[in-house]
Amino acid sequence: MLLSAAPRVCVGGLVGWRASGLERKPSSPPALQPTSPVVWVDSRGLNARVLATALLDLMRDDGISDACAGVASTPVAAQLAATNGAPGVTVVEPGTDRAYVALFPLTALDVPPRVQPLLFGIGVKTCGELAALTRESVEVRLGADAVPLWKLARADDGRASTLFAPMPRELPHATLDWMDYEVSDPARLLFVINALLENVCDALAAAGEGAREIAFEFSLVNRSTHVEYVRSTRPSASRQAWMRLARSVLERLALPAAVAGVALRVTRVTDREERQTDLFDRGLSTVKATEDVIARLIDDQKNVVVLPRNSMHPLLEERTMWTAGLEGQGASGPAGKQLHSLRPAGPPARRPSLTLQLSSLPQEVVVMTVVRRDHFVPVKFRDRTGWHEIVNAAGPDRVSGAKWDGERAYAREYFRCVTRDGSVVWLFRSVLGRQHNWYLHGWWD
Amino acid sequence: MPTGVAELDRVLPGGGFPLGRISVCEPRGGTTSMLRAACQNVVAGGHRAAWIDGARTICGAFWDDGPLLVRPDSHTHAVRAADELLRSGGFQLVVLTGVHATDPETMRLMRAVHDGGGAFATITQNTTMAALRLAAQIDGCEWSFDPFGEPAELEAVHVRVHARALGWDKHTTFTIPVRTHELRLSLESGLADRRGLLASQRRR
Repeated sequence: MLLSAAPRVCVGGLVGWRASGLERKPSSPPALQPTSPVVWVDSRGLNARVLATALLDLMRDDGISDACAGVASTPVAAQLAATNGAPGVTVVEPGTDRAYVALFPLTALDVPPRVQPLLFGIGVKTCGELAALTRESVEVRLGADAVPLWKLARADDGRASTLFAPMPRELPHATLDWMDYEVSDPARLLFVINALLENVCDALAAAGEGAREIAFEFSLVNRSTHVEYVRSTRPSASRQAWMRLARSVLERLALPAAVAGVALRVTRVTDREERQTDLFDRGLSTVKATEDVIARLIDDQKNVVVLPRNSMHPLLEERTMWTAGLEGQGASGPAGKQLHSLRPAGPPARRPSLTLQLSSLPQEVVVMTVVRRDHFVPVKFRDRTGWHEIVNAAGPDRVSGAKWDGERAYAREYFRCVTRDGSVVWLFRSVLGRQHNWYLHGWWD
Repeated sequence: MPTGVAELDRVLPGGGFPLGRISVCEPRGGTTSMLRAACQNVVAGGHRAAWIDGARTICGAFWDDGPLLVRPDSHTHAVRAADELLRSGGFQLVVLTGVHATDPETMRLMRAVHDGGGAFATITQNTTMAALRLAAQIDGCEWSFDPFGEPAELEAVHVRVHARALGWDKHTTFTIPVRTHELRLSLESGLADRRGLLASQRRR
């Protein structure tokens, strides 16, 4: 229902009108030129008569005593009811808009000057008489300018969509409350969530959408509410996927009291993307399965799919920052490109090369050294597996820095060593301070 | 599924890693390099490859884009990631390193690789249920020497690979170069550089 209130007052009175919470459009409708300013109020989903009465009461409190309100399904009927109806609220019953408008003379509408003599010539004086004509005859006899007027006379007013924003669509939700018992067992809670998720996911699937985020609202027996937002890497309407996420949330969730009700609300949805790919691409049939499995991995293990971002830090272990490969960058990210780079012929493969593997933490080792010119070189070292004889060692490669940074300061002498059993290891001696300990930092493999 | 290393493919049954089966490579001796080359070869062929770095030993400075890199934070997560990736069927090659799967886990992985149809290679000592076993060892090194006649750079290594499968026992030797990262040496005047000289001496 549209509600039009037309106070016969000055414009200043309307601007100062207290109408917080009510959507209003101070602009007058384009086709009608009423003498009084018009306020448009959207009453869809509300009781229009009660709203109009409350609105007039508010205006009366502000000193506007002669305001009128019209309630109708179409803007033209609502405006005519407000501007020409009885004082107070005039309600046009749904489905009777055309009949209501038909009673008014054409002068109630904004008749184009060129059309006025033509209408007079054919003897049309009321909206009902104009509405009785066919569109073709209006176009032929009165011209194209008269068609919008003819539409208004038929209460065929398309301004409703421009006056008010479309109603926000309700997102899927499901709620279950219980009174006679309380739940503190996670397994029982999960059972309830599973049932609720079925409703939510069915609604999502029916709408062809996938949820990006679902709010889990737990009503607790201590009269408080705990809300947990669960996000999925990819929009999904799969109950299994959301149940997996719900399980991981419940595993780490600690609630201060037992649960007396659960509500699931979808807070973010997107259309489920179906990527357009070439039928002749390799791996076409497995793109979705691959994306699904990676999304599942990220959901389960967080930033597990990574890409290195390297700097020029002197220390190799500080040089790399591991960034999330897929999360937050979608298919346009580097890893996403890798996933979808299904070209039939890729770049030529590289020859293998022995590369360095780094221990997560340098492992302290015992080293025997000999003097070579002006420095010591390792000839034997002992790690967890025992002694290893070094047959050749290159180095030292001296790396130092951060002397100004206290504990972060480092000064190391690196050696690349080949052991008798064929391993190529990377040893270093920390030369900071008095204790010069040796460490195994990595190996070439 | 060819590894892209011609010398290695020649000694593997079927000319590469078997699809739908487990291949086990013993640690060290250049196995990581061979598997990384195989991953690059798969990606170059327009397929997908995944590398699960269970021990988190991959050095970012040496990582080449191409395969999907997965860095799980625990043994269980690594095995689960391998299971999921293999079962999806979207990866031609999945490599699991740094994780020694138990027998039940290996059984589960075997079912996953069978269902997915890709190839699965893991670096471990446990060769249970492996259709192909690879053992590699560095047989010799090629050094470059400095003016003092001391080793300066490790240029290349000779790798000897032993491939074993049911009714199959072959070996080969090939040479692979050694990649080194860009060193940033001593910048401070109080510390000697690689040649054993202090900054003040260098200026002179």
